Formats: sequence, C-alpha cells, structure tokens
Amino acid sequence: MTLRFPFPVRSPLRPDLASSLHRRLSIPSRSSSSPTPLLSSDHRPPLFLRPPAFAASRTDLHDFRRWAESLALAAGPRLSASDGGPDAALLRRELAWLVEDATVAAASESGVGEELRLRVELEELYRLWRARIEERRPFQYIVGCEHWRDLVLVVKEGVLIPRPETEMVVDLVAEVEGFEKGLWADLGTGSGAIAVGIGRMLQEGGRVFATDLSPVALEVARLNVERYELKDKIELRRGSWFEPLRDVEGKLMGLLSNPPYIPSSHIPGLQAEVGQHEPKLALDGGEDGMDHLLHLCEGSASALKSGGFFAFETNGDEQSEFIVDLMSMKLGNFFHNIKMISDFAGIQRFVTGFRR
Amino acid sequence: MAGFFFLFVKRSFSNPSRFLLFPKIPISCSSTSSLVSSSQTLARSPIGSGFNNVVGGGIGGFPRVSVPRRFSSHLAAVRDLKTADGLTVDAIAAKDWPILGESESDWRSHAAAIAQSIQLIKKRMQWRKLIVRLDQMSAVLNKPDLWDDPVSAGRISREHGELLSKMKEVNGYEQELLEHIDLIKLAREENDEELEWESMKALVNMRRTAKEKELEALLSGDNDSCSCFIEVQAGAGGTESMDWAAMVMNMYKSWAQHRGFVVTIVEEMPGEIAGIKRATIKVDGDYAFGYAKAEVGVHRLVRISPFDSGKRRHTSFAAVAVIPILGDGSTRYQIKESDLRIERFRASGAGGQHVNTTESAVRIVHIPTGICATCQNERSQHSNKASAMAVLQSRLDQLEMARQAQLNAEHTQSLTDISWGNQIRTYVLHPYRMVKDLRTNYEVSDPDSVLGGDLDGFILNFLSYLLDKDEASV
Repeated sequence: MTLRFPFPVRSPLRPDLASSLHRRLSIPSRSSSSPTPLLSSDHRPPLFLRPPAFAASRTDLHDFRRWAESLALAAGPRLSASDGGPDAALLRRELAWLVEDATVAAASESGVGEELRLRVELEELYRLWRARIEERRPFQYIVGCEHWRDLVLVVKEGVLIPRPETEMVVDLVAEVEGFEKGLWADLGTGSGAIAVGIGRMLQEGGRVFATDLSPVALEVARLNVERYELKDKIELRRGSWFEPLRDVEGKLMGLLSNPPYIPSSHIPGLQAEVGQHEPKLALDGGEDGMDHLLHLCEGSASALKSGGFFAFETNGDEQSEFIVDLMSMKLGNFFHNIKMISDFAGIQRFVTGFRR
Repeated sequence: MAGFFFLFVKRSFSNPSRFLLFPKIPISCSSTSSLVSSSQTLARSPIGSGFNNVVGGGIGGFPRVSVPRRFSSHLAAVRDLKTADGLTVDAIAAKDWPILGESESDWRSHAAAIAQSIQLIKKRMQWRKLIVRLDQMSAVLNKPDLWDDPVSAGRISREHGELLSKMKEVNGYEQELLEHIDLIKLAREENDEELEWESMKALVNMRRTAKEKELEALLSGDNDSCSCFIEVQAGAGGTESMDWAAMVMNMYKSWAQHRGFVVTIVEEMPGEIAGIKRATIKVDGDYAFGYAKAEVGVHRLVRISPFDSGKRRHTSFAAVAVIPILGDGSTRYQIKESDLRIERFRASGAGGQHVNTTESAVRIVHIPTGICATCQNERSQHSNKASAMAVLQSRLDQLEMARQAQLNAEHTQSLTDISWGNQIRTYVLHPYRMVKDLRTNYEVSDPDSVLGGDLDGFILNFLSYLLDKDEASV
C-alpha cells in the first residue's frame, strides 16, 4: 500500500525490520546520490546526545548550510502545496536546529578560522538533510528528538512524534485537585511524553503507569523516563489499553490517552511525514477513527476510582462531541462534569470528565 | 591648621614597599555625621575597633560618634568636602591646572583630571536631581504612617538605599582624591618621598578608573541595568526595506554578541523574497537596555539596490524599538489569565495526529489593551508560549511605565509609537561611504564595521550627548 504514495524513495521495510537489518549492517559511508533509502539509525542515540567526535571547518559548515538552504528554498513551496508539508521558512528553521543539535555549543557566525566540533560527520549531515527533503523523513526522526513542553524527548522511527497539542494534557492534569499523590495511567504512551510530563510533577505516593503495545515505543519511553530520572515514578507496562492494568483496576486517580484517532480512510491522504514515516499503529483509529476512543471510554468506568479524572485527545470537534454525548448520556451514571477543551488552534481537541 | 595631627606607622611586611597608613586629617565638613566613610581607610585602621560608638571611619579613619539614624539629607552637608587647606573638587577643577599625560609626576595634573571626571560623573548622574529625590524620599520615609502601605514602603526604602549607596560611592571617590592631595602636601612638608610616591601612584590609578566610572555613570537610569528586547521593523518599500531591516537586526546581533550578551531570536517574520518584515531578539546581560536604548528610532540606508536591475540608488528605512525586561521583583503590570487569548499561530487543517510540523508558534493577545506577542522560534509550543508571555509582559510594562510617568517616555517608545520621521541615523553606502548619527553628528566612514556590530562609538556618544547637554544638573 505504500506504493500508492508519490514518493518512491521510502524504505519498503517496516521500521522494526529496517532497524534490525541496520544493526547488522554498518552504514557504508558513500555519498547518497543513489536513491538507496536511508536506513533508520535506530541503534544510535539522538544527535544532540552523541559525542562530538568529528570536526569540520566553519567554511565547510557554511557550505553545507548554503546547499541545504537552497534545497529548502527550492522544495518548500512544492511540499507545502502538495500535502501541507513544511514551507521554505519552516525548513530553514529546521536546518538551524539541525545544525544546533549537530554542533557543540552555539556555532556563532562571527568567529572565523577555527574548527567546529560535530556530533556527526559532515557527510552525514548532507545525507540527513537530503532525507528530510527528498524522503520527507520527519525532522524529529532526523535529529532523534522532539522538544515538547520543557522536555527534550528521544524519538525514533516506530514511535509517534508527540504533537504540540498534546502538551495541554499535562496542564489539564495539573488542575486536578490532589493529582500529585494519585495513581495515573497513560494509555498508549508512545515516547512517554505525557507520562514524563506528569511524572515530573508528582509527589510522594504519586505514580504513572505508562502502557503501550509496541515494544519500540516502550524502549523509547524507557529512555525518556531514564533521562528524566523518573524510574521510581513511572512504571512502563506492555499491553493493549487496560490489559496490563488489571492489578490497579478501580484505584486510578486518572486516565490519560492520546489514542490513534485518524479515520482509516484519511490515512492514504496524510502528509508524507506522517503517512509514510510514522507508525500506523499510533494513528489509525478504525473506520470512523473512534475504535480505540470508544474502548477507552467504556473501560474507564471500572479503571477509575470514584472521583477519578480522565482526559482523552481526539481528532477534534465531531469526535469530541460524540464522546461527550456518550459519556454524559449512555455512561452518564458513571461520569459527570464532562467537558470539551479546545487546543490553541480553536479545535475542540480534548474531552475531560470525572468518575462519579 | 589647628588640631592637625598625623599618625604614621611604618612596618616591614613581606613586601617592604607596603606600609600601613593611619592618617587622621580632619577635613572641614559642615556636618558632624557624615555619611561618607572611607571604607578603605577604615578597613586599614585598627583604631576604629577600639571605639564603641563608631559609625564610620570618617575622613581618614577619624572615628565619629554615632548619632541616631534618621533619614535626612546628610548628603547635602557632605557635598562640600574639602582638603585641609579648603580645596573642593569644584575648586580644583576651576583652577584649570594643565592636564598632562599619566606618566607625568605632577599631582596637580592628576588632580585636575580626576576632578573633571568627578564633575562629569555627577553631571551624568544628574546629581542635583538625585539630591532632591533623596530628600523627597527621606521625607516620605520619616512619615509615621509609612508602613501602612508595606509594599510601597518597601519599594521606597529599597530605592532610597540604592540611591544613597550610589551617591556615597561618588562621595567616597571625591574624598579619596582630597585625602591624597592632603597626603602629598603633607609628605612634602615632612620630606617623605616614599609617602609622596605612594599617593602619586594612587592618583594615577584613580585617573585610570575615573574613565570607567564616567562610562558607568552614563548608565545610571532606572532600568539601564536590565536585559532587553530589541525589535526591528522594515519600513515601506518592500524587499528593499526588508533586506535593510535584516541588516539592522544582524548588526544588533553581532554587537550584542561582541559585548558578551546572550542573544535569542524570539520572533522573526521573514520577507517573501529577502530580509525580514519584523523581528524581535532578546538580549540578555547586565546593562543591555542601558546601551541599546540609544538605538531607538528610525535607521535610514542609502545604497545601490541589489534588487534593482536598473542599479538605481534606493533609500530604505527600518524602525528600532528597545524594551527593558524588568526583573521579577519590579514587574509592573499584573496580567490576568482571563484577559488573555492564546492562539496557535499559522495553524491550519485538522491538527493533532494528522499533522507533523515543527511549527508551534503561539500568539497571545491581551484583550483589554489589544497588545499581542508572538513567538515562533522555540522548539516547543510550551516554550514559544513562555517566550511570548515574556514579550507581552514587557510590552505591557512599557505601556504602564509610559502611562505612569513621562520620565522614560523617550526611551520606551514601542514600534507603533515611533514615527517614521524620527530618523536617528543614516547609513550611506553610495556614492560615498559614511554612517552618521543625526542626533550627535558622530560619524564613521566605514559602514561595514558599523553594520558588523561596531556600534559602541555611536552608543556612547549618544548617551553622553543625552546627559551632558543638560547643563543645569550639577
């Protein structure tokens, strides 16, 4: 089905296969003018965490920037017009961040002469940027991280890149009285973004169970939990939705989830960065996009303790309205104070409420 | 002079040329409770500790009996510090002793140079206004109902303390000069060459630090020590002006980096073809606002346009605004959460999982005033929001300051207030090359260095012009 996309350069391998393949192959360091797909650099830490083992002159880096910028300027209008991809201005900003992550300290433009220390070979920078433009590989996979709230989260192929909208879930939790000491669950945690965001605010007794079906996601979430030293606050569990949480059924103070909610029919038309690179498992919500949301709603009644709170992200307006109706009508005996919350773009993005 | 005595102890220390001085030179002073204490001398004086009621070393470590502390204008009394034979700093300056090079061993030359500096420093600090203000604050602080409003009482007493210490520093410096003059005269009477040499050396050192103090005095405004935002906006004229605005912004970035400030881009609206429509940077560091405020106004460029195939001469404009970032303690405008509307900037489509974008710009609108702030250069929406809030806070503070008093009005104009007629500087690249400040007439014939960030000449000239033109202040 990937062949339907207009970009033939995508790796035909599933990300997990690609990564295991990659583990066995060392990357041949040749110029990638050939259309060989860029193998995901799964086993390596994100750019900004790698040791600065390489060097380049300022002129070399400058040349790279000029080349990369011209590529961005040429491709930007096309990408944004075709499927709402990045425009030239955004690509230039990404380029600046790529250089920021790949170099040591601020590569101030004013200094001259001296060598810069790099975290990747200059040659690889070229390859990475080409993959960004030509393969539409998401910027966050290129640099291996996503800045989310005040966190820098590790991400890689196989894990959904946390969206800016989802940042608000953490704010919603912070408004719940006594949240600091409760048991929370982040269902389908992916990179662990919500769990880490909440985990950092918890006090003695507070705990987050972060679940995911995908082993790759759990591996990445573990990295993020460790990086923020939250091993004693966040427990990662593998399994589908409520399955791994049987032992805490009825004891949870809160349920949080950003489940897959895109209707299956929308998947082929997605922006290339999403449709061709991010895991379907984290996006596809079934025919009307609500398969998982409905499952979560129904399971919430028994998972939450009395007075417990839930916040679910949805595809927006229609889905949110549907969930609000469901929770307050059909499940009205279990829940109250059901609300829709808008994201900053004015879309009713979240549904929240409390267990009676 | 009657009652004149002198205590001189010589000891051999590890460094034989160092010796301890406990000079006691009563200097006629019309108040018994001088606020001035030469802390240096006091620190060297073991005698001070032998007295119980000592509040300060007084002149030359002369112990003084403490008086009940009251806020009153003791400083007024201190203004006429004199040497043993009645010389004041103003009198020294008035003598017009020729000022020779630092290497010349002529105490009169050194004294004259230092006295001039002191006069300049006082003028720049607007000494007379400071005395009036200090008196006013003392009057307020002596009111019995002062602490009915603890917030304002705290603020006034803090301000009073800051002002007092600023003025004491200058008085201390003044006194140091007079002391050394006395010592030199004395040493000559006693034929003590070593003492004379020591004091001469001290005068030379003072002369050197005087130049720094003159510069520091340029930055004694209320918010001068703050960090700031610098905003640049392109004038009419499309790409031509947007390119110029980008050049101006780069000039400030390099200037700030060379000065050791930390520069962060907060907001940048690129032009369609080149340059920027508007941009905001944050400049972090001590006295960033004090310096940058000299740049407020419209900057004009004359050059052969690189965008004009006909190679014609073009004139472009860019407006610059500078906003101080007040410290947490002094944030003036209280923002109510409910007055804010926060919007995703340039968001389109379904959002959420549908979209992968690194664009997370946020615009915050303060509904009651209509003032808004945008930030798009941070890597997370959360950080963009925090940055935009900081900009909004500063803009509202600026508005509040302008409303509360006219005193800072000229430096705190926002971009919207700056009239395009208010040109402060012209950069000519063709047919000749020159940058000229229209306020001070300071000029430089190398535009490249200026555009590369070499702005200190312009800034310092403007700051001294601004303060030194005020003849009435000393």
